[in-house]
Amino acid sequence: MIRRLSFTAAGVVVVIILVVAFVGLFMLRKPGQLAGPPTTIHLETVGAVGTANEWPRPNDPHPDWVGYLPTTILRVPANSTINVQIDQEDSATGLRNPFWGKVFGTEGGTMHMTYFDDKGNPQEGDMTSIDPTQAAHTFAIPDLGVFVPLLGVNSAAPAGSTNVITFSFKTRGPGIYHWQCFVPCGAKTVFGNGGPMQTLGYMGGELIVS
Amino acid sequence: MSTFRIEAADRPHAIRLAIIWVVLSVLGIIAVLQIQYPPYDQTVQGQDQSRTLALLTAIATPVFIGVVILIVYSAIYFRRSSPELVDGPPMKGNTPVQVVWISVSAIIVLFLAFVGITTLATNSSAQTVPGQSSSLAGGTAGNAGSEMQVQVIAQQWYFTYRYADYGGVETTHLYLPVDRPVELHVTSLDIIHSFWAYQLGVKADANPGVDNVFHVTPQKTGSFQVRCAELCGLWHGQMSDAEGQVVSQSDFDTWIAQQQQDYAAIQKVVPSYAPYYFPVPLTKGS
Repeated sequence: MIRRLSFTAAGVVVVIILVVAFVGLFMLRKPGQLAGPPTTIHLETVGAVGTANEWPRPNDPHPDWVGYLPTTILRVPANSTINVQIDQEDSATGLRNPFWGKVFGTEGGTMHMTYFDDKGNPQEGDMTSIDPTQAAHTFAIPDLGVFVPLLGVNSAAPAGSTNVITFSFKTRGPGIYHWQCFVPCGAKTVFGNGGPMQTLGYMGGELIVS
Repeated sequence: MSTFRIEAADRPHAIRLAIIWVVLSVLGIIAVLQIQYPPYDQTVQGQDQSRTLALLTAIATPVFIGVVILIVYSAIYFRRSSPELVDGPPMKGNTPVQVVWISVSAIIVLFLAFVGITTLATNSSAQTVPGQSSSLAGGTAGNAGSEMQVQVIAQQWYFTYRYADYGGVETTHLYLPVDRPVELHVTSLDIIHSFWAYQLGVKADANPGVDNVFHVTPQKTGSFQVRCAELCGLWHGQMSDAEGQVVSQSDFDTWIAQQQQDYAAIQKVVPSYAPYYFPVPLTKGS
């Protein structure tokens, strides 16, 4: 009887340890921080993180999810100008709120973009807005007033093409600012706002200003 | 079984309790009326809510104090001293006492209900200004005194605002002119949110396909905070904006003119102003 009770108690303890470890490891798991010069952010947006051109994550738990790569936890200095380059490889999904097709909060209120036109020819220029229906994603830091739409790669562009978007913005004081995508790009989820839109490490993250 | 009544031996207790209750109630009411109740007085509606809260608290104070001093007094003077368990004498009540406490309770509750409903009704009604219309499409831009239409659009995870009276211009912050009644039309582009402008005294559900109407009349300039009060996903806790402003009419005119100028770049692709929007398509990229 005592032996049976001991086995039962030991089993319960093991199960509790496993459950606590599972929950704990899940809660503590965070993407790594971006390495590189502190005033430059270089990101890649892709339709599937498992098959990215620059920073593929084939072993990701969700290799077919859209995402920002190589990480969504960004560390930058306070009260500084941050130069951002986003290599945008995904096709257009379209904005739910077309208002976000406009650039807000960047230096000069513009972004610079190299992209492909409807005939597949490379183009380049400074822009203050894009066609909201052609947006693939947005890079938005609401608390800093930064909202930048990212044009989807034109279907006429050569395979494997990338739109390169560059812009600069200024940070304020130290703090953790969340950033996110405003395009409902979570494929196969209700309203497109599930999956990668609701999971840290894909379509949103933290800008750690220190 | 005897009728409940205060025995002669207990009268000193009753008198003592009554005196303590009156003194503490008066002191308590004076104290609670010194408190500034949220959401304070940045808007007429907020001030109404603060006053109502103060009134409700003042009325509740004697009741609260009465209950507490009865418990404390009983615990001190009537606690069981011997270890034996003895039941008290059975009583069947006292009609006059019952009539009094039921009547007093009913009057207090009905009065509080009347005050609460009146405040709600006043807050929900349009702020009419003589000689001005307040229809959604018929607002007149820049007319101080008319009820200004502002649409609050919630989306994961930010609020934007459209000013129907100014060509449907959409903005990232909520600016309101002081002393001008505002009709807020709260809606959502995706899921259920809740627009909570604490200092304005407004907390309104933001549902897709629904035009939820609230009224505010700012009466003090200054900043206010907007946040979402409905758990709405990963960044719900970040869905806030501390840059809401109540400004003078002239400052508002300057600000809205700048917004219209900035908005021109995107205006042609933004849909016309509508009372509400539906999230389409239901599933993207499938």
